[in-house]
Amino acid sequence: MDVSDVTAPSAQRSDRDRVVVTGLGVFSSIGVGLGEFTEGLRSGRNGVSPISAFDTTGFAHANGCEVRDFEPAPWLRRWKQEELGRAAQFSVAAARMAVADAGLSDDELRARRVQITVGTTDGESQDLDRLAAEWVAEGPQSWAPQIAGRVGAGRLSAAVAWEFGLTDSEAVTLATACSAGNYAIGMGLDAIRVGDADIALCGGADAMCQKSFAAFYRLGTIAPDFCRPFDKDRQGILTGEGAGVLVLERLDSALARGARIYAEVLGYGLTCDAHHPVQPEQSSIARCVRTALDDAGVRPEDVDLISAHGTGTRTNDVTESRAIREVYEVPPRTVSLKSMLGHTMGAASALAAVACSVALTEGFIPPTINHRETDPECEIDCVPNQSVEADLKVVQNNGLAFAGNNAVVVLGRYDGDRTPATVAG
Amino acid sequence: MTGRAPSRRRLDIVGWSATSPFGTGRAAFSQGLREGRGTSAPLDHEQWQVPAGPACLVPDFDVRKVLGKKGTRSMNRVTGLAVSTVGDLLAELDRPGLTPETTGMVLGTTGGSVQSTLDFTRGSLTGELPYLVDPGLIPYGVMNGAAGQIAIWHQLKGPNATLAAGRSAGLLALNYARRLLLTDRAEMVLCGAAEEYSTARAWLARHTAESDPDALLLGEGCAMFALTAVAAESDPVAQATASLVGVKALTSSEGDWEAVVRRAVGQLLDDAGITPADLWAVSPSAAAGAAGKAEAVIAQDLVAAGGGVRLPVAELLGEAHAASAAFQLAAVLGRAEADERAAGRFSVVTSTDEAGTVAAALLRHY
Repeated sequence: MDVSDVTAPSAQRSDRDRVVVTGLGVFSSIGVGLGEFTEGLRSGRNGVSPISAFDTTGFAHANGCEVRDFEPAPWLRRWKQEELGRAAQFSVAAARMAVADAGLSDDELRARRVQITVGTTDGESQDLDRLAAEWVAEGPQSWAPQIAGRVGAGRLSAAVAWEFGLTDSEAVTLATACSAGNYAIGMGLDAIRVGDADIALCGGADAMCQKSFAAFYRLGTIAPDFCRPFDKDRQGILTGEGAGVLVLERLDSALARGARIYAEVLGYGLTCDAHHPVQPEQSSIARCVRTALDDAGVRPEDVDLISAHGTGTRTNDVTESRAIREVYEVPPRTVSLKSMLGHTMGAASALAAVACSVALTEGFIPPTINHRETDPECEIDCVPNQSVEADLKVVQNNGLAFAGNNAVVVLGRYDGDRTPATVAG
Repeated sequence: MTGRAPSRRRLDIVGWSATSPFGTGRAAFSQGLREGRGTSAPLDHEQWQVPAGPACLVPDFDVRKVLGKKGTRSMNRVTGLAVSTVGDLLAELDRPGLTPETTGMVLGTTGGSVQSTLDFTRGSLTGELPYLVDPGLIPYGVMNGAAGQIAIWHQLKGPNATLAAGRSAGLLALNYARRLLLTDRAEMVLCGAAEEYSTARAWLARHTAESDPDALLLGEGCAMFALTAVAAESDPVAQATASLVGVKALTSSEGDWEAVVRRAVGQLLDDAGITPADLWAVSPSAAAGAAGKAEAVIAQDLVAAGGGVRLPVAELLGEAHAASAAFQLAAVLGRAEADERAAGRFSVVTSTDEAGTVAAALLRHY
């Protein structure tokens, strides 16, 4: 492919086929709402605190990244708070925030065909924790009908459609674990590209739960204090919670209504390791990155920043950085947002995509915090501890998951009439 | 770049299989359906700590008996059902002709295995220490565990997705497969849905029953379909017995299920440029409550307008939740393959889920 033609597939695509991000909603341990979240990213805020969601007695250490003082009620118009579990409260509230940020009224939304895709790892996890506790105490015959009625994971997306009173809307929950947020963005993109939808509300949500914490603890992957991705002394992940939702629409639709454009969704890729239930596989991750770059119509040297899956476990960080080096002769700066946000499971790559959109718009790279010395086995510049100003045009967002479910999304800066993601040199 | 011209493609269904209360495999499914055989049977209450009453189980299904003892020590029932069904489906496809990297897998579910999830957490709550849990259970306590095992067992390395969408999961999985093919993300997609019978599911169903909980009759199983995209004008792929014409999913947000089901079906027929008289069969999901009644009314209207026969599925196989719509699809395909009057005609499958989803699919029979 000719160098001058590198971004041509995207640039030559008609406005009808190009898909852009026009709204962002975010609930995270480092900030609620785009302003706080951006400030948190810029200052390298640490979202860690002692876990309060469940009784941590018996665990030697139990830090996590919770959304403290989460108040869904102001965001719920149709739903009553008690009708939804915490994960659905997150997805509905983040969708509300994203739609408001996009400048769309409920009526305008109802007039469009809306694809809703919410990624999750654990679904209505705190309710499931409760059912398990109740089973131990009294047996399943004593389960509360209200809790039993809201644990279907499909509700995380269906509840969003109901909140806005949408009819012409396909609501799907993508249960592809820790890359589900990227899957959701990809599904939203494709629904628009094939002409099934005019607009997509896509992202991910998960709530802090004992099940996930105990599982990662059992695997020896919970860090005692902080999450230090790519550090030679890293000790693992911190589980977290939250939600990120992005509003996607066709470029012509965004331009016609004068919407603010945060980024262009250039493409994405999906691969499956077919190798091990919980261990990542390097070649499959590299294949996923290549697939995503191909779909986006960009070459490795066009990518200015990688938001890594970057969990902070040795297995992930070494495997992922090697996969990156398999594709990139000289990798761009590669950061882990999980150093700040913890591992928010199904929300992780959605929150990271929100962060990537912010980075493109605001022109800075969020840091990998808690960093002391980079592991020589991870040959990347992880932008330790301090954010840096940067002129970013193309950003790659990695999502890896149990079951070998890899998903990589590529976002580009939207520069008005100029060719997006123009290659320098 | 990804293709964006769905009108120039046709999606052929080149194979299917089912593991159901009728038995294992496509032939057993078709035969059970042809005979109209009910599958409700008393439960062994020593094995199942569940409310009294019968259920529709896959006969003699034991994961380790079916798949062997290697790699199945902690494997749960839903994963066993799904891995086994995909194996049966692959056996009838041209396996060497499939490229692992371009073969996708899409599995619909309600919530994975709620039983495995709760078993794991109960282990944490009752163990000497809260982290002394069985690590073998960890992959199965996450909803994508089954699809991940399918990929490992059958070496499928293309896009691998798990969709949670309750009763409509089978049709939404089909729509996801459709988009993967229309955007060239896979050359072949295996898609379907699975649901296991379990103590946890039996109690969840009882606590959320819309009508008499003693009348609940749960089913289980898995049905999987193989789809591939071909040029719209080309002849059907050799072993294809039908093509997927379209899938429409809507949400009932205002409580008027009938209007939304009618709209979904109407749009599919309009988009295809056909009328009810072109239909060979209609398969409503027989959901409990208002949603199911709405589907029944629309099915009745279609049949009255010349829309062929109404195929009962849940009446024979029980309420299979995530597997229900996949069973309906399998039923339409199985019955059409045995009836030459179906050739060239169309069938509609509808489904509703209590969370609000209304989905319909339109198939064309060869």
